[in-house]
This record gives sequence, C-alpha cells and structure tokens, in this order.
Amino acid sequence: MKIIRRNLAPDGPGSVKMVPEEADDLWMAYNLIAEGDTVLAVTVRKVLREAASGGRDAERVKLKLEIKVETVEYDKEGSVLRIRGKNILENEYVKIGAFHTLEIELHRPFVLRKEFWDSLALEVLHQASDPTASADLAVVLMQEGLAHILLVGKSVTTTRSRIETSIPRKHGPGIAGYDKALNKFFDNVLQAFLKHIDFKVVRCAVIASPGFTKDQFHRHLMLAAERKQLRSIIENKSRIILVHTTSGYKHSLREVLDAPNVMNMIKDTKAAQEVRALEDFFTMLSNNPDRACYGPKHVEVAHERMAIQTLLITDELFRSSDIATRQKYVNLVDSVKNSGGTAHIFSSMHVSGEQLAQLTGIAAILRFPLPDLEDIEM
Amino acid sequence: MSTREREKNILIESELGTEGPNSSSASVARDGGVKERDFASDCGIKPEILVSRMRSVSLSSKSRTGNVNEETGTSNLEYKPEAWMIPDQAEDRLSQLNLAIVGHVDSGKSTLSGRLLHLLGRISQKEMHRHEKEAKQQGKGSFAYAWALDESAEERERGITMTVAVAFFNSRKYHVVLLDSPGHRDFVPNMISGATQADAAILVVDASMGSFEAGLDPIGGQTREHALLIRSFGVDQIIVVVNKMDVVEYSQERFEMVKQKLGTFLRSCGFKDSSVLWVPASSMENQNLVATPDERLFSWFHGPCLLDAIDSLQLPARDYSKPLLMPICDIIKSQSQGQVSTCGKLVTGAIRTGSKVLIMPSREVATIRSLERDSQACKIARSGDNVTVNLQGIENNHVTAGGVLCHPDFPVRVSNHLELKILVLDIKIPILSGSQLELHIHHAKEAATVVKILSLLDPKTGKVTKKSPRCILAKQNAVVEVVLQGSVCVEEYAESRALGRVSLRSSGRTVALGLVTQIMKTQ
Repeated sequence: MKIIRRNLAPDGPGSVKMVPEEADDLWMAYNLIAEGDTVLAVTVRKVLREAASGGRDAERVKLKLEIKVETVEYDKEGSVLRIRGKNILENEYVKIGAFHTLEIELHRPFVLRKEFWDSLALEVLHQASDPTASADLAVVLMQEGLAHILLVGKSVTTTRSRIETSIPRKHGPGIAGYDKALNKFFDNVLQAFLKHIDFKVVRCAVIASPGFTKDQFHRHLMLAAERKQLRSIIENKSRIILVHTTSGYKHSLREVLDAPNVMNMIKDTKAAQEVRALEDFFTMLSNNPDRACYGPKHVEVAHERMAIQTLLITDELFRSSDIATRQKYVNLVDSVKNSGGTAHIFSSMHVSGEQLAQLTGIAAILRFPLPDLEDIEM
Repeated sequence: MSTREREKNILIESELGTEGPNSSSASVARDGGVKERDFASDCGIKPEILVSRMRSVSLSSKSRTGNVNEETGTSNLEYKPEAWMIPDQAEDRLSQLNLAIVGHVDSGKSTLSGRLLHLLGRISQKEMHRHEKEAKQQGKGSFAYAWALDESAEERERGITMTVAVAFFNSRKYHVVLLDSPGHRDFVPNMISGATQADAAILVVDASMGSFEAGLDPIGGQTREHALLIRSFGVDQIIVVVNKMDVVEYSQERFEMVKQKLGTFLRSCGFKDSSVLWVPASSMENQNLVATPDERLFSWFHGPCLLDAIDSLQLPARDYSKPLLMPICDIIKSQSQGQVSTCGKLVTGAIRTGSKVLIMPSREVATIRSLERDSQACKIARSGDNVTVNLQGIENNHVTAGGVLCHPDFPVRVSNHLELKILVLDIKIPILSGSQLELHIHHAKEAATVVKILSLLDPKTGKVTKKSPRCILAKQNAVVEVVLQGSVCVEEYAESRALGRVSLRSSGRTVALGLVTQIMKTQ
C-alpha cells in the first residue's frame, strides 16, 4: 500500500490518502474502513440526463464522490472492495444524500477520513505501508488425487485452485489406467501452477504432500519444463522447495509453514508468527490446561484478573458494526499490551486465523493457572 | 440384541414359495426392521446355517427411490432376500476369508505374501524367475518375492508398498483374499481402506533386535496404530507372525520376549488371548509357513505353521438377509462407453449377473454385466465375497471410490453432518471445537471439522459425565458433532457396522476411533 498523504492525530480525527497495490492491501483497507467513516474516490456513476427532446439519456460519468460509509464488502475473488453509503459532497450529477456504491480497485487512490484513529487502525496503517513484511509464498498442497494451490500473502491466504480426480488401483488389470490417470492429474496441476504462480511476485514455491507424490510431481514438472522450454520454471528451479506434510487437505498448510526450510524464508512475516502463536496456545492447552482459555467470556474473566500473557484474536471481531464491541476489543488489546503482554491479531484469511475463528475467534495464554474457569459457562 | 431362532437345515425355497424377484404385489406396512445382531458371540456357528425369519412381503420392482424417505432413509418396504441370495448348504463351496496383512514398515509383509503365493502355486516358477531377475537388475534382489505384490514402478523403486495389493489363494478350508497393506506412516489411509474389508488379520513383526522395538514405539512405530485400527474395524482374530526369525537365529528367548511385550499391548487393545495366534517364521528361509519347520524351530516350537493357523480362523457370520451394500474400494475405467468396473467386498446382501444396482452418492442405476472373483467369472456374489463387479449403463464420472453399491429400493444414506461417539487415543493436543481432522469411513475420506463437543462419557458405563466440555483430552470418550467438506455414504452403527465405523486422523496419526450414532441433515 502506498501512503500518499497522511494528515491525522493519534486518537483523533484525520485523513489518509492511499493507493492499494496488491490483494493484501485491499484486505487492510477492509479492516480500516468502518461504518461512519468517509471515503473519497474517483468512481463511475450512471447519470440520467434529460435531453432537449424530452427523452431521458443514460450516461456513465466519471466523477469524484465522497460518501459516508454504511456497509463494506470484500470480494476476494475479484479483488475488489465495495463501499456503500450516502453521498456528502456537493456534486452536479449526484445529490447529497443519494446512495452510491464505491468500488475500490487496485492502483486507484482513495482518501479515508476518520473521526477517531485508534491504536489498532494506526497499526494496520503502519503494517500496510511496510514493504518488507510480505510473505508471498506459493504452496502446492497435494495428495494422490487432490491438490490445492494456495498463495500465502501478508495477511491473506487465497486458494487459487483446487483439483480433485479419482485415481484407480495400481494392481492387476487397472495398472495402465493408474499411470494415465496420475499423469493427467499432474498435467492439470501443472497447468494451474503455471497459471497462478508468478515467480516475479512470490518469493518461493513449495510443493508439499504426504508420501512421494511431491517427488513424482516435481519430476513431472521438471520434465515438462525441459520439454516445453518453460523459462519461468527453468530459471527459478532453485526457488522450488519440497516439504513433507501428513495430508493434502487445506489444514495441513500449517505444517508447511512450520517446516524449517520454509520457516527460514518467512520468519518475520505475519503468517509465520500467527502459526507459532497458535501452536504455543495448543501446546499450553495440552500440557497445562488451566493456563489457557478461549471464548469471549473466559478471556474477559481472565483479563479482569490481569492474567493474560498472550492474547490471540481474529480481526473479524474488530469488524463488527457495533462500535461499542469494537471499542471493547480495542481496549482489551491496548491494556494487554500496556501490562506487558503480547497481542496477536490474526488475519481471518490465513489458515491459522480460520482455525482460531472456529474456536470462537479469541483465545489467551495466561500468566498463572486459573482452574476455576472450568466452572464458568462459555 | 434380538434373539432369532437358528434353525438347522431349513430349505429356503419352502419359505418363499414360488415368488420370483420380479413379482409385484402391494407393499405391506413396514415391519420393525431387521436389526443387525452382534455376531461376536456366535463365532462357533457356521454362517450357512443361520437363517433369518422372513415375512410374506415381496419387493416391488417397479418402485424406485420414490418409495424411500430421503430424509430418514427408511424404506416403506420390507426387504426380503431372494432364494439365490442365501447360500445353499448342499453347494460345495469354500467360504471366502478376507485376510489383511498389517504391520510396521519393513517387517516383511509383502515378502511373506509373495512367498505364500509362490508356495501355494499361485505364482508360476517362470514368473518368479522373472521377478528375481528384474529385482537383481535393480539391485533389490531381496525384494524378489515382494515384487509379486508391489507391481508399480514407484513401489519397486522405493522398496515399499504404497497401496493395498489384493491376491487370492486357497488354504484347506478357505478361499483366502489376501490384502497386503502398506506399513509406512504416510500410507495409513490406504491401509485403512484395506483393513476395513478384513475378517481377520495377520500382524507381522520383525524379530530382529531394534526393529521390533522401533515398530512398537508409540510415536514412530506402526505396530500399535495398525493393531488399534484393525481392532476398531471389529476384527477380533489375529495371527501374529514373528518374522525374520533367521536373523535372531531362531532364538526362543527372543520369541518369548516379543510375545510377552506385544501380547500385553494386544490385550490392552481388546484382543482376547484365545483369539491371538503366535507363529514364529522366516519368509526368507521358508520356515514355518506352509509346512512344519526344521530342527532349529521345531526343537522348541510345536504350534501351527502359518497355513494351519489361517485354517484355524473362524469366519465371522455373514449377513445375507439385509439389502445389498458394497462399499467401492476401487474403480477401473473401461475403454468402452458406459462400462465401469468396481471392486470391493460385499458387506451385506447378494448380487448376480443381470441385477440392477444403485450407485451412491450419484444415485445412478446400472446393471451388472458380469462378476469376477479372483480373475474368474462367477454368477453370484454374496456377503463376505471380495469381487470385481463389471457394470453397464453408467458413466465413469458417476462412480467413485468411496461410494457404495446398493439395492435400488434401499439406498444408503448420504450426509456431511454426523454425530459420533468417539474414543480418543493417546494424543498430545486436545480436541477442541473447531479442530480440523480427517475422517475415514469404509473407503471414503473427507476433511472434517468438529463443530460441537456434546458431552464426555464415562468409559465404563457410557453415561454422560459432563455436558459441553471445553475440550477432549487423551483416552476420553465423548460425543461430538462433525461437519465434513464433502458428503459420504454412511449408516448408523446400529444399522450397519461396516458403514458406521469411523476413524479420525490428524497430523499423520490416528487421534480417535468412533461410531456413527446419528446422521444429521446435510449442511
């Protein structure tokens, strides 16, 4: 995200002009823009004009609109942010108070004006403008007959492609069919690989699977690259890593991020940090269950007793439209940080964030055991 | 458990009268249903003698799935098996026994299988020479026998079994279907696919120093996981082959040590001491496999050889009286249009050439063109038989491994939302609401999420000890609700054991074994 102009006071009103450059930035913007803020951007509007003859003419006009936000929608497939709200800027084509939907796309600048820039929003802004923290890992997670192509970004993990086929038996009469089916499967995965993985953008590509499927696919990939002279693969041969996982299902992505050779590459990125934090939580829960808790009620109680050492929370909870709830969580994060603890805000678009969301979205590792949490209703 | 009278030597024909499969008469209000009995106690009785009580209701062949309440899956009709479905006592047929070979990687399963097949004449001398020559060429001379079962280039190159190999041989009492399973950790899902068809199992352990211990290791070894999984599939008879005895010089001491250590573990899995047979052997030197061993072993071991041990196994009772259920293990696509071959073991019911079957979950109907058992054509296949069914009138993409062949009027249930009663194994990370696991049921597998933990149960009494617990720890029993990524064919455990058993795995280990207590609406 490119920040063009910043004009704000912390914990006060202000405006920021920015240009999203990649899908991650749109996600950041999604987390920043809340109900009640105003967004100014160039957009297209269908305008009805009365022609001299009395007939009505519809014309699409490009104009600058500022709207007061009512709802925000994030379309991950199309990489577009849709903001719906009422117009507040005087304009010759659009009346004040008319509804309009702004579409924020990549490489289009917009200005966000907020009444109150709290610490969380400032943090998101800071992260968005940091160019180094991008993970940008492409992962081909597969097992025999099933493959996922995932792109792990700064704050977003997108599933680019999912390929599933049924592969017949390896013995007896079907053996010829097996090789054919396997090759066809690998061809499909290869196509998707070439289509979605751009080595100019990603740092490295990981091929992960249980058993030997990854080796087989790697061999197939290299042979095809030689045969068809696929430069992008031949040049980047060294950037393809093989990792062992226990299955080809999406939740095994966690194991990919944990693998030592992958971990080295993405050490400082958000995705890796999130995986580690969640791992720590599970370890604590199994070794010392009284020192770990999850669910809003339990975490609140733990916080009252100043017991929270590490707070894990998904950004979904901040996006609630109820300002009071958002404020409550912002305060929680702030006070945990102030008392010397750490707060990890998980992106709900990452695999670990999804997992945390399944667990109610909020969890904590405590400084000291609280056995009586067991008796409190979740 | 309802007790049915078991009458010996009843001729089925007299009960059924002259009704054929195509007669149509009005269906009568449904009966209380046929409940599956617990056959564990009936081990001693020959299955051919068991006959279930039949009412005078016949099957309407005109009705299709219209008669079935899709929501609950219950049928308005009472299922009545036809004459040819129940095996005739007079028929001279060896019964089929499905035997799974499991054990830690490199314990010698495939080599043992290859040896057995060769000794019993299933592999010709010429073929054996060919395997030996090819194996030597690749520098894998010792794998020559294993190559009889590991046929793919990948398996031979790496020296391991990756998918279950099916082979047939005849012992004195049985037609044995041998299911040689992979022992490697990564291929346990494939081993599950084989083990789910098993009636009994051979657990192979490597007697050599260090290898046995490695296999028994709770984290890295597969001996434990395989034994647990086998037991969870309802197999209660197991032959333990202590292989590679030649490496430890046929030491009785070593054998007794292995027997004692492993015996304790098997007992803890639920295997009764009387159902476990111990056979020391060496497949490399052909000792104690099909004949009495030589002096080195015979001086202290007087038990049965492997073949005799196989003959001493009891067949579990087969259920011929329920509608057809055959989980599809494998499909073989045919070059011709509209033809597909499926392989699997019939769990209940029977089929013959010309029968119509319903393929779930695609709900397509196909006709059986022919049946093959052990590469030989046969006319009828019954519960317990492992056959290849050649279908006609169906497109390739409508049949998948993990699907089920069933009777057109009695479709199996399909859902992605299940309630399970689970027993959690020794795991490090507790199971929480939201945990993501892999669910294995007969030959199907799906990614699953635990959406709710309903209660914890007392392992002995089964009573609820805690409602809505925070998490489930190791060795606890619980009732949970899971939602799967895709739908699977499933039945409640009370209705069908084979289709109601599940195993849950995560991070390469089996974390829990369970039974389906309720099938809920697809989400």
